[in-house]
Amino acid sequence: MAELNGHHGGGQTRGPLFYIGAAGLVLAMAVETVAVLGRHAGIPLLGALEIIQACILLMASAAMLSATMNNGHATVTLLTTRVSERARQYLRAFANLLSALFFVGLSAGALWLAVESWNDYEQSELLHIPFRPLRIVSLVAAGAIAAVFLRDMWRSLRGRP
Amino acid sequence: MNGALGVVALLALLTLGVPIGVAMGIVGMVGLMLLLGPEPAIIKSGVVLFETITRYELGVLPLFLFMAHLCFAAGASRDFFEAAARMVGHRRGGLAIASVAGCAGFGAISGSSLATAATIGLIGLPEMRKRGYSDALATGSIAAGGTLGSIIPPSGALIVFGILAEQSIGKLFTAAIIPGLSQALFYIVTIVLLCRWRPSIGPATARAPWSERRAALVRISDLGALILLVLGGIAFGWFTPTEAASVGATGALLLCAWRRKLNRASLQEALAQTLRTTGMIYVVIIGALIFAVFMSYTGLADQVADFMDGLPGGQLLAIVIMTVLLLLLGSVLDGLALMLLTTPILLPIVTNLGLSPIWFGIYLVRTMEIGFVHPPIGINLYVIQGIAKDVPLGRIFKGVVPFLAADLLHLSLLIAVPALALALPGWLHQ
Repeated sequence: MAELNGHHGGGQTRGPLFYIGAAGLVLAMAVETVAVLGRHAGIPLLGALEIIQACILLMASAAMLSATMNNGHATVTLLTTRVSERARQYLRAFANLLSALFFVGLSAGALWLAVESWNDYEQSELLHIPFRPLRIVSLVAAGAIAAVFLRDMWRSLRGRP
Repeated sequence: MNGALGVVALLALLTLGVPIGVAMGIVGMVGLMLLLGPEPAIIKSGVVLFETITRYELGVLPLFLFMAHLCFAAGASRDFFEAAARMVGHRRGGLAIASVAGCAGFGAISGSSLATAATIGLIGLPEMRKRGYSDALATGSIAAGGTLGSIIPPSGALIVFGILAEQSIGKLFTAAIIPGLSQALFYIVTIVLLCRWRPSIGPATARAPWSERRAALVRISDLGALILLVLGGIAFGWFTPTEAASVGATGALLLCAWRRKLNRASLQEALAQTLRTTGMIYVVIIGALIFAVFMSYTGLADQVADFMDGLPGGQLLAIVIMTVLLLLLGSVLDGLALMLLTTPILLPIVTNLGLSPIWFGIYLVRTMEIGFVHPPIGINLYVIQGIAKDVPLGRIFKGVVPFLAADLLHLSLLIAVPALALALPGWLHQ
């Protein structure tokens, strides 16, 4: 049973991922607030949106990986809470396998796009923030999430939580 | 046919415990592979991934979550309940009314039904039981009141709907204000009627002196100002929703510091909770967007829309069928899954029928909320039982039944009078 703000999937790792995600979130908040104040004061902060987009990418990538590492994804538990422990382990392994395949698919798509656009030197309009590193971050995040799901599948099959 | 098979496959995967976002994404990805071929399917999925995690509008969600966690750290939930309890606690059923009002106040910060029920439940339930309230009224009022968190803006569910349906989040927030407040009013009337019928279930308690009432109101004035700034800013067009979320989060940070509740531990906890929920929601949205692309290629929504068009009862019958379908699905799926599954299919039907997508968003969230309080899912009932462990689930359900009746009445009103949702955005020229 999942709900937007209510899923409690284990403790949050306060490692590098936490600090990357937190930095992205706080920076996005600060830049946007300064931009709003600046706009109302007649001193617009040019390119704020581009900085915020980059911050959101960092925050979202770290948050998705962190949620995966902490088993924090939303699931429907109607069946899984009513079967034996052994069956639950197999269901968990199956869910982890599908999850890994999904993120492998996303990684492949991200890689494809990165390769296609590599020589285009894409960048944002005002601040010329290059897209290459952003694409690499999304690719690495999707790949890492797939790897975590594969690890979890292996653990589920071996009966480890 | 492909679309129907996709829906069946999705329901099967969800039942087997596959994460909601993954189930939607994998069905969408495989479906696109079968319809268009592997290469376009993979490329489309990569595009959805990159566009979603760089999408400026989606920044609204983590920022509002951060604001909510900071306000929670500042003691907002207790202050809202205590202010309402001081004002109406001396009346019959007054503490139950205070719980609903506390839920509405905290809902204007938290954006989540479950978080609202859990936090107000922790404060309101012991208080009501100590004052001799019946378990059924105490638990029922908070389980139902908690659902206000999903509709009163800033609502997480409305943000997700806005992203999926490509509708203005600001307009959705404004449209939700009257339905949210009228829903709270329906609950309050329910409590008044119940206590008039059986006075023993919610005994009157001592009246708080005006000095205490004033002090309680002063304590929530900073929170009230923050909520007014954020919601007023969106409604009057001073900020976009993302800007409002940033200003709100910055305001909450200052409020926490002002109340001397800001320290390293509380900040880290707020950030960690925000990131945990954010990560989960991003995966869900990526999966839902890929599923929506697949659904648009299958033409399922168009076929269902044609079928609905051919029905003799027109718009009204179509809405009745949708409502029954949503309530039935809400019995087996949780709210988030229900919304993500049905939006790509029902939204084209709704627009085809000439109904407003903004109204549909409010109606969908309202229907989804009912699923939070009716078995077998009824997640709020389990949350309340987690707080009051000695109250059997059956008694909690018995307590929520009158509020469910009020919910159905309110939903009927929303269907019969769409202006309930659409009037305010119209008046404000949004």
